[in-house]
Order: sequence, then structure tokens, then C-alpha cells
Amino acid sequence: MRRLFQFTRRSRGRIRADVDDELRFHIEARTEALVAAGADPATARERAVREFGDVEDARRYLNDLDRHTESARRRRDYMGEFRQDLVYALRTLRSAPAFTVTAIATLALGIGANTAIFSVVDGVLLRPLPFPHPGQLVRVWSANQTANALQSGVSNLDLDDWRAQKRNVADVGGWFYQQDGGSGIDLTGAGEPERLGAVFFTPGFFGALGMVPEAGRLPREDEMVRGGNDKVVVLSHRFWVRQFGAQRAAVNTTITLNGAPYQVVGVMPASFLFPAEPVDVYVPYSTIPDDAIPHLRMVRVLEAVARVKDGKTIADAQAELDVIAKRLAAQYPENAVYDGVTIAPLRDAITGKVETGLYVLLGAVAFVLLMACVNVASLLLARGAVREREIAIRAALGAGRGRIVRQLLTESMVLSLAGGVMGVAIAKVGVTLLLKLAAGQLPRATEVRLDAPVLAFALGLSVLTGLLFGLVPALRVSGTPLQGTLKEGGRGTVGGGQRLRNALVIAEVALAVVLVVGAGLMTRSFVALMNVDPGFRPDHLVAVNFTISTARQHNYQLYYHTVIDRVRTLPGVLSAGAVKNAPFRGSGEPHGFVPPGMALGPNDQPPTAVFMHISDGYFRTIGATMREGREFTAGENDHTPITVVVNETLAKRYFPAGNAVGSVLNQGQDFAPQIVGVVNDIHQTSMDEPVRPTVYVNNMQNSRVKTTLVVRTRADPLTMARQIREAIWSIDKDQTITSIFTFDDVVGEALARPRLLTVLLGMFGVVGLLLGALGIYGLLAYLVNQRQREIGVRIALGANTANVLRMIVGRGVGLAGAGVLIGLAGAYATTRFLRGVLFGVAPTDPLTFGGVAALLVAVAALASWLPARRAAGVDPVVALRYD
Amino acid sequence: MARQPMDLLQGTLDVLILRTLTWGPMHGYAVTRWIRERTDGTLDIEDAPLYKALHRLEHAGAVSAEWGVSENNRRARYYKLTARGRQQLREEESAWRRYAAAVFRVLEPA
Repeated sequence: MRRLFQFTRRSRGRIRADVDDELRFHIEARTEALVAAGADPATARERAVREFGDVEDARRYLNDLDRHTESARRRRDYMGEFRQDLVYALRTLRSAPAFTVTAIATLALGIGANTAIFSVVDGVLLRPLPFPHPGQLVRVWSANQTANALQSGVSNLDLDDWRAQKRNVADVGGWFYQQDGGSGIDLTGAGEPERLGAVFFTPGFFGALGMVPEAGRLPREDEMVRGGNDKVVVLSHRFWVRQFGAQRAAVNTTITLNGAPYQVVGVMPASFLFPAEPVDVYVPYSTIPDDAIPHLRMVRVLEAVARVKDGKTIADAQAELDVIAKRLAAQYPENAVYDGVTIAPLRDAITGKVETGLYVLLGAVAFVLLMACVNVASLLLARGAVREREIAIRAALGAGRGRIVRQLLTESMVLSLAGGVMGVAIAKVGVTLLLKLAAGQLPRATEVRLDAPVLAFALGLSVLTGLLFGLVPALRVSGTPLQGTLKEGGRGTVGGGQRLRNALVIAEVALAVVLVVGAGLMTRSFVALMNVDPGFRPDHLVAVNFTISTARQHNYQLYYHTVIDRVRTLPGVLSAGAVKNAPFRGSGEPHGFVPPGMALGPNDQPPTAVFMHISDGYFRTIGATMREGREFTAGENDHTPITVVVNETLAKRYFPAGNAVGSVLNQGQDFAPQIVGVVNDIHQTSMDEPVRPTVYVNNMQNSRVKTTLVVRTRADPLTMARQIREAIWSIDKDQTITSIFTFDDVVGEALARPRLLTVLLGMFGVVGLLLGALGIYGLLAYLVNQRQREIGVRIALGANTANVLRMIVGRGVGLAGAGVLIGLAGAYATTRFLRGVLFGVAPTDPLTFGGVAALLVAVAALASWLPARRAAGVDPVVALRYD
Repeated sequence: MARQPMDLLQGTLDVLILRTLTWGPMHGYAVTRWIRERTDGTLDIEDAPLYKALHRLEHAGAVSAEWGVSENNRRARYYKLTARGRQQLREEESAWRRYAAAVFRVLEPA
């Protein structure tokens, strides 16, 4: 072994003293020489100094220079030692491949999982939105305090007034967009007719977002108002690429939308995916005719975004818009109750729904990594016991404790950095899988990538991990007293290190408990969600979504019913009906109503219900059950009395006497339909929210252009899709189809986000369980190895197999028990962070806690069993002869 | 200073010191005496620049320093030529010889 310390280190004070000494020696030696040659001492000294030159200057110069020399030397020594350590670490690790591979793989999994989840968190939550100064962007809703509808849509007329009166707000704009073609527009004259996903924007939309087009220009103010040249369209990047092959010449060309020519004025950049990814075109809201969406103050269908002016706060904007809303409320009776606004940062509005889930995942993977650290630390400790001799020898050869700790830490760092490199590879695969699993569930998913910040995170994590699992064993091993170890003759010691290893196993079990409790809670929540009765039977149901052209207004109802009837005659179709929005694909329309017997004062707001537009046979088709009365029949239309069906929730709440059927719902404006049936509750918006009071309206009596044809088939529903489509085209060959999907898919999507969270947390839970089991197994296996002699003696003295088994298993279960207790306390403290993602189960669910405790003890017993078997099989003769 | 003998060319001190140390480890005082005696006063060198040069050489790794005991039993800082110092001396010496030869070729009558 080479010398560890080539030079003793010199402090600043030491250097100063050395320089002084050296100079003094020179002057004295010279003086003496001159005296010896016959000079008198005073003259001699004076001459020595003169010959020397500027002593003070030299002193300063030498001091400075020597300091540099010293620090350069230290750096050189350090690098030299580091290289030594590195070479030594690599050699050591290579000589223990099983340990090295286990450690690196464990760390790679831990770091990989963390990097993958972090890259998602970074892309979705941490990175600023892809707009200029995104912190200034807010979502704005009209607020109706009276009905507690604080996030209502905004009317385009209100928006115009906000915009005209704003001062703290730089700009504010609105848009109308519904997914799945809910806000589509028909493209014709360019190949097959196609339903485009369209955003209808008001003036201020692009201005507030602060986006500039990639090609062409944005619409001028006069192109966004009624009566202006508003037949203009802005293309999304992906539509421009798809339709125009990304040709700049697309700008200023004309395309036919809903049968009218629209001038293409601009193309948005690829990064502009607002408000959703599948948008094809941006069209002025002013082009929507009044018979589709009336431009009235009481029609609040727009979503709105505003940009706060430089130097103003969100609170300033809120205060200003509140004042304007109050003014409008006083001015217009239909605005009376909408006397304020709700404002939230745009970022929160976009990612709020997934925030808790993502942070829960990040927390869970952090636990996995902690467990990986603990595992590798115990491995290192176990190895440390074996290496005590080697280390004692190094210490005896003059290596200080700090030096040995550094050498051991270098080894940990090599492990953790190798784990980090592999971890990044794992993360790369993991992120791809994760995004595939989360398709459609994750806003901003396109912004997730393994970029510099994420790689920096992985690197930082690796270094931290290396310190975390390396420091404790390094300190422990380097602190081993010398003589004992050398005298021991290489068998290693059992004493003090054992307590530390026990502590590590307890910690590991505790961490596993927290992880598994989280996974257990999520699983129970998911099961509860699965057990929610959606109110319909989703199997064998296919839906075809289309929008009837407003040009058909005169024969709309005839067309609507002809299509349904034609589909009903198809072979393989059991029944068919229609609804405006399929469950989980959009909700109904909220309206007020007055149940009979309720007296409303002049300032009282009526209760609201969700109004759904359906056809006859809809309930039978989706497999809902009529609790009372009947559903709509084919004979009902414009000319028969207006009837409605209500759901159970509404019937129970407003007709507790059970007299719903036959009663009349007063809706004002001479609209007083009779209730002809009560249907079971159908989940329309989500599985985890309670069903709202709902009124089903006959689409033949109150029509909507958006139609979802629902068909129950005998065979695989998707195989029927083609025939259904052709049946529709046999009636109107220009009918565009927005989308086709099965109800099984719809239900699957409604559960996709909780399922994803459950699967991932479950995976982490299993990893936690495995690591915990491995920890216990490793410890006991090591222990049995170390104590073979003692066990041999016990057996020789008459202990039977059962005694030995009990001793070892008892040891494992005892440690696990301690870990479980700590873990349960930890879980109790942390699971409340899950509250936002749990359904139908409390974060402190005793069943889950108890089950996990039992599970971990059982796993511990199992993991102890194998080493215990080995111990019981110890042959006392062999064991005693061992040394 | 009254007398102004030859200016010391850059690096001259280094080569003188390195050469001096080829005789064995010496403390700074011995190095200055040695050089003074050898140059016989032709090069009027103060001691300070010599010490500076010694420490510069130490910084550059051409010499190493260690405390030792002097002839008259006092603590003195001894300088020793390192392998790198020997190498540097060889290079500088041959450069000096080439330089001096070139100068002489000009000065000596043909």
C-alpha cells in the first residue's frame, strides 16, 4: 500500500512561523559568519540584513507563495487519494459481485422510480405553464353566492363589459370548448367531411394568454365581433401539419367550416395546446348563431382566462372584477345573483386535480428509496463485519479515521452513482410506461421529459443516497477498536454492530408498513369505487356521437327519430336510444325548478337540477331501472303534453311522500311538465361524486343538436359500429361522426385515474414488502451464520429443533413487531395526505391498518423461517470444530 | 545602489539554484553563500530574490523542503532537488548553453 499521507499539512500560522524561522536562521547564520571573520556583532548584523535586501517584502512574498503551495499540494493529495480510493473501491466491489449487483440494482430501482415520478411532477406541476409570464394568468368564473355556484360559466356579454372596464387586468378573454367534439365544427370541401375540434374564442382570449402565432397573425378586434368580418380561423399547429403539410401558404387561404368560407389568418405554435391537446381550429365566438347558443347575459357557457397587469396582484384583479360584477348585477336583473367572480391561478385550475395524487406518488417513491438505502446500509454493515480486519490493518498502517471514512464513502458513492446511471435508464422506460398508463388522465403530459433539471435531480439524489446509506456503516466500521479485531482472528465481532443492524431492520419494516398501508388504503378505496353502481349496465353498449347540423332545423326531430329507428332495425341491435351526453362524457344543463308546494319568496332562488336530454328507450337501452312509472315512448313529441322523468335522488328529496309520478314540476315561463316516471340514480359526471337531482327531458319536445346514439348489441359492440355509421349515412351522407366508443371504455376511463394511482401505490407497496422481507431475511441469515457455534453448543447441550426455530423466528418476528408499531404510528401521521384521493375509506381505516400489521408480521415470520431452518440443521460437531 | 552590474535574466536564478542543489540538500543560507562564492560578486544578487526563487521552485515542485538540523545544531529548512527539478535543470542548462554559444558566436571575431 502506498503512503496515505505524503506530507504533513501546514496551517497558515505554521507557514508564517516557518517563514520567520527560515529568515531568522539566515540572518543569524550570516551574522555569525561575519563575526567569525572578525566583524563586531552590530556591524555584522547590519551587513547581513543589507545583503539580504527587503526582509519585510520577502516575508510577505514567501508567506503568500507558501500558502498557495500548500493549498495546491492539498488539492493534489486529495485528488491522488481520491484516485486511490476509487481504484480500491472498484477493485473491492469487483471482488464481491453478488453484493455489488444487489446493491446497485436496489439503488437503481429506488433512484429510477424517484426520477420517473419526479420527471412527471416536474413537467406537470413544477415547470411554469408554456405562456409568457404564466404567474400572471388566472381563471375567472362568475360567482353566484346565493346558489353556492362559485365557479359558474361566464356570459360573453359580461366578458365584453369586464374587458371594457378593466384596469388592473391586462386582458381577459373567454372560450367555449367541449371535448369529444362537443364544440366541433364541420370541415367540408377538403376530402371527406370531418368534424374538427374547435375552440370558440372571444376577443381577449389570445391577448390574455399572450401568445403570438407561428405564422400569419391573430384576428383583429373587428374580426371577433358580430357583424364584423368574423369568418376567420386560426389553426392549431397539429391541424396545420395534418391538413396543410405545414405549408406557410396555408395562411390567407380559405376553408369551408359549417358550410361557410373562413379565411385562415394564422397558425399557433406547437407549444400552444390550450385549452386542450386535440384542438384543430380556433374560431371567433361571434360566429356561433343565436339559435345554437343565444348571445344573452343569462347564458353563461364560457370559460375565462385573464392576465393580471404588471405590478398588480391576483387580489387586485379579483377586487376589480368583483366591483365590475357588482355593477353589472345592479344593472341587469338576470345578473342580480351573479354579483362577484371567483379567481384562481391558471396553473391550479389546470393541474389541481392531479396534484395530490402526484405528490402522494412522490412521497411513496421517496419511501421506496429510503428502504433501498436502509437495505444497502445493512448490506454494507454486514460486509463491514467481514472487512473489519482489513480496515483495522489500514488503521494500523497509519490511516486516520477520517481517511478510512472517506475511503468507505467513495465506495458508497461508486455504488450510488452506478445506481443513479442505471436508475436514469429505468426512469426513461418508466416514464414512457407511466405516460402510456396515464393517457388522457394527466394534464400537460406532453411536457414530461427527462431533461437537465430531472437529470440534476437524479444526480443529487444519487449523491444524497450514497451519503445516506454509506455514512452510518462507514462511521461504525471505522470506529471499531483495533486490537480486538486483529486478535479475534478474522471471525469478526457480533456485539455493537448487531444493535445497529437491528435498528435498520426495524426502520425498514416501519417504512414498509407505511408504504403498504398507503397501498392498502388506495386499493380499498378503488374497490369501493368499483362497487359503486353506475346505474346502468355498461357491457354491450356502443355510443356514436354526432352533432346534427343547424341547417336541419326545420326537420330536426324527424331526422333525429329516423336515425334512431333505422338503427333499431339493424340485425344484432337489441335496443337503441339517444342522450345528449353519455355518462362521464359531459353533464347535463343546470336549471332551476319549483317542486309543487314549495313557496318561493321574490328573492329566493329555486332549487336546481341537472336537465338531461334523452330519447324514448334510452333507459331500457342502457339498462337503467324504472323505479316508478314509465320512460318516454315513441309516440311522444311536440304535439303531445310535455312530460319528464326524474331520478331517485330528486324524487326522494322533493317528493318524500312518494308521489313524484303524476306531479308537476314548475319551471316557470309556462313550462310545467308532468313527471311520468322515476328512474334509478345514474352516475353522469363521475363515480365518486353523489348523483345530483336530475330531470330527464324528452329530446323530441326540447331538442339539442349534440346527440349520442346509444346502442345495445347482441355481440361485441364495436363490431356493430360500422353498420350503425352506415345506417346514419344512408339517411344523410354528409353527417359527420364525432366519435365512437363503448360504455365499457367510458366506465374504464372514469376509473382510470384512481386505478393508475392504485396500481402504482400497489407496486410500491409490493416493493416495500419485498425489501422488508429481504431485510429481515438478510439479517437473520447473517446472524445464524455468525452464531453457528453458539447454536451448535445449544444443540449439543440438548436444545431441540423447535427451540432453535423458535429462537430465530422469534427474533425476526420481534424485530418486525417493533417495526410494525413504529410504522403504524408513521402511517397514522402520514395517511391524511391521502384524504384527497381516497373514496369510501377513512385515511385511518382500522381494517387496513390491522391487516397490514398482520401481513408484515406474517411476512417477517416467513422471512425468518428459512434462516431458522438452517440454524436448526446445524450439526454441533461441525459447528464446534469450525475454528 | 552604486554599482549596477549585469541584470539577471529571467530564470537565471532558478538555474543557478537548481545547479547548486545538485551537490545535495542545502538550507537557504548555504545556497546563497554558494552562489555568491561561485559568481565572485560578478552577479550582485541580494539574498531576498534567492529565497523567493527557492520558494517558487518549491511551488513548482522542482525542489522539496524539509526541516533539518544545520551544521551548528540549529533548525534549518533544507531544500532538495526533486526528479522534476533535475529535469528542469537539464532543460534550462542546455538552453543556457545554446544561448551563450549564440552570443559568443557574435562576440568572437570570426
